[in-house]
Amino acid sequence: MKKRVTLLKEFTKGLWEINPTFKQILGMCPTLAVTVSAINGIAMALATTFVLFFSSLLISLIRKWIPNQVRIASYIVIIATFVTIVDLVMKAQFVELSKALGPFIPLIVVNCIILGRAEAFASKNNPLRSMLDALGNGAGFLISLFVLGSIREIIGSRTILGYQVMPNGFEPWLIMILPAGAFLTLGLLMGLANLYTERKKNLEREALIAQYKRVGREEITDEVLKEAGV
Amino acid sequence: METTTTIEPKQKVYFDLTTSPHLHSKWTTSKVMWFVVAALVPSIAAALTFFGWTQIFIIITAVVFAVGTEVSIQVIRKKQITWFDGSAALTGLLLALTLPPNFSLSATAIGSVVAIGLGKQIFGGLGYNIFNPALVGRAFLQAAFPVQITTWLKPNFAVDSVTSATPLAAFKFDKIFTDTVPMAIGNVGGSLGETSAIAVLIGGILLIAVGIVNWRIPLSMILGMFLFGGMFWLINPQNPTPIFHIFAGSFLFGAMFMATDWVTSPITNKGMWVFGLGISLVLVVIRIYGGLPEGVMYSILFMNGFVPLINRYTRPTIFGAVKEEKKK
Amino acid sequence: MKVTHIIATLTLIGIIAGGSLSLVNNWAAPKIALNQKAETERAIFLVHLDGKRYEEIKNTGFEVYKVFNQADSSVGYSLVYAGNGFQGKIKIMIGLTEDLNKITSIEILEQSETPGLGTKILEAPYKNQYKELTPTPSIKLVKGVEPSNPNEVKAITGATISSRSVVAIVNEGVKRLKELQIKGALK
Repeated sequence: MKKRVTLLKEFTKGLWEINPTFKQILGMCPTLAVTVSAINGIAMALATTFVLFFSSLLISLIRKWIPNQVRIASYIVIIATFVTIVDLVMKAQFVELSKALGPFIPLIVVNCIILGRAEAFASKNNPLRSMLDALGNGAGFLISLFVLGSIREIIGSRTILGYQVMPNGFEPWLIMILPAGAFLTLGLLMGLANLYTERKKNLEREALIAQYKRVGREEITDEVLKEAGV
Repeated sequence: METTTTIEPKQKVYFDLTTSPHLHSKWTTSKVMWFVVAALVPSIAAALTFFGWTQIFIIITAVVFAVGTEVSIQVIRKKQITWFDGSAALTGLLLALTLPPNFSLSATAIGSVVAIGLGKQIFGGLGYNIFNPALVGRAFLQAAFPVQITTWLKPNFAVDSVTSATPLAAFKFDKIFTDTVPMAIGNVGGSLGETSAIAVLIGGILLIAVGIVNWRIPLSMILGMFLFGGMFWLINPQNPTPIFHIFAGSFLFGAMFMATDWVTSPITNKGMWVFGLGISLVLVVIRIYGGLPEGVMYSILFMNGFVPLINRYTRPTIFGAVKEEKKK
Repeated sequence: MKVTHIIATLTLIGIIAGGSLSLVNNWAAPKIALNQKAETERAIFLVHLDGKRYEEIKNTGFEVYKVFNQADSSVGYSLVYAGNGFQGKIKIMIGLTEDLNKITSIEILEQSETPGLGTKILEAPYKNQYKELTPTPSIKLVKGVEPSNPNEVKAITGATISSRSVVAIVNEGVKRLKELQIKGALK
């Protein structure tokens, strides 16, 4: 039936294979809106990971007990509770950060990564696996937002995490800290990610064909290759 | 539908073959491109006259980087190298002419790379792009370096009363109107290629005369300006007159060289009218209500986005087709 | 059976969620209120550097504070006034002397101008022009030349609209305050 997945794999798959930003294309709104600087990206990703982790854990714990008809309603209430807690804590303790992220903290409620993982994973797997999956996805989200935020910060305001890295002679490209810059950067990064995936797939396919030829298998049809998973 | 299909289901259909007669054009892509470059010579000459010969470096930088980007991308993607068709050089040249005098050369180079890279090659090269590549480059520069791109140079031979502000900026921020005559000659502040209406018109009329540019687009834009610009002017005489609208900024340059780009303008005659009128309407609204003084670039890019839709709805009836009966 | 299960589940989740939120809110609410108060205070004293104590003047339609110094004598007023900028609202704290004829300083509290361009209204070269500015008859924006009169402010290159918005908001705020003074509401 189901392929056995190692616990390590549950975590690492979120980093690249099902990276929320580049593979699942989820949570685009915060991705585009808050990544004007690397620190904003990190803060957003950490807040999201916090919510993701606890809601996944809780949903996984009570997954057998929630009736199917009201599962989405239950998930949303749980997620919204954690988001509100994060929002209140940030407003109380990290005033500057909560100002910078503005309305995007309350909007984590509708971030599809969280409901997506709850529906697709936590509601079907045990708490340990759900936690690892949440952490992996959170880490993947963190990596993407950090990369996106860094690129935009370096080119748009010459700094990274507040430290100046570009010489004064470099005229910052203001477009990078405007919404248009977010779309351009994300589009180009996604293009590169797809290019890399495609290349890798083609290489694997060619390697397999070569291997089949070596062992003297005559017919290499698309079905055969599909079965082998490439 | 009452039509009967005679094609066998298994039969292979060659979509790229059409029945005769085939139209042969004496114009090849490269001929057209180099001809447009020639039509820009008066504008280049005007730019060098009014803003100094050193402006040639902006033009050279833009062209070199445009061609360089085109070749690099084609080499990387292992495509046929087509720089000699002149389309990349033309994009670079058009971009340079929309930039302000003394614009930084490094930023010009960035603009050229973006124009060809993001404006054209990312869609698949010549003929596949939705938006005018030169304007994509310019829009990028406008967003990236808003201060430099609105820093104007006082033209040579300027009388004392002439400031470096463009006529449109003078209108927008200080409600000052510039006379038509200096705007027609080009002795006002503005981008390199746009200030001299006469030079632009010489090139444009040449292109219309030889049939490269379809007259419908420039004419519909000008008529649209009289219509919509005039409307706003009649409502409130504080607004600029249609004549001011036409001679100020890059309206004529856009009408002759930007909106008429073959790839990004409609293919049907009716569509061209819709396209030209649309540009004028959007432009008048931007100029009067927008935050920026000029909007030719944005209005053309905006209407570029509508071109597939315009083509679809203005498709001419196929010869011999019977009109569909109205449904009751 | 099924229906009761559904109702029970949702009720329980709702109660637990509400309960935990009220706990967190009990802890956070005073802190958030304190933060907001501290911020207002910080801004009031930023435009009146010698201020030590303030009193809010009520029933004015906008926020006005009377500011006192160490010796507890009045040094002037701080008022919060908002208006439209290039892209959104700009909220400014304006410091005025007792006779309302001199601006001590201004502080932008909220804005959503174009990053790197309109946001230059936050930076010292523009903002400091308001120090010791005379807002009578009204502040004027000049472009390209250095200000020559005590009521002139130089516009930011490329961000004329943002610069002008700040001038308009300050002018409007000062005007409203003067009206209040004439009515005798500033006691």
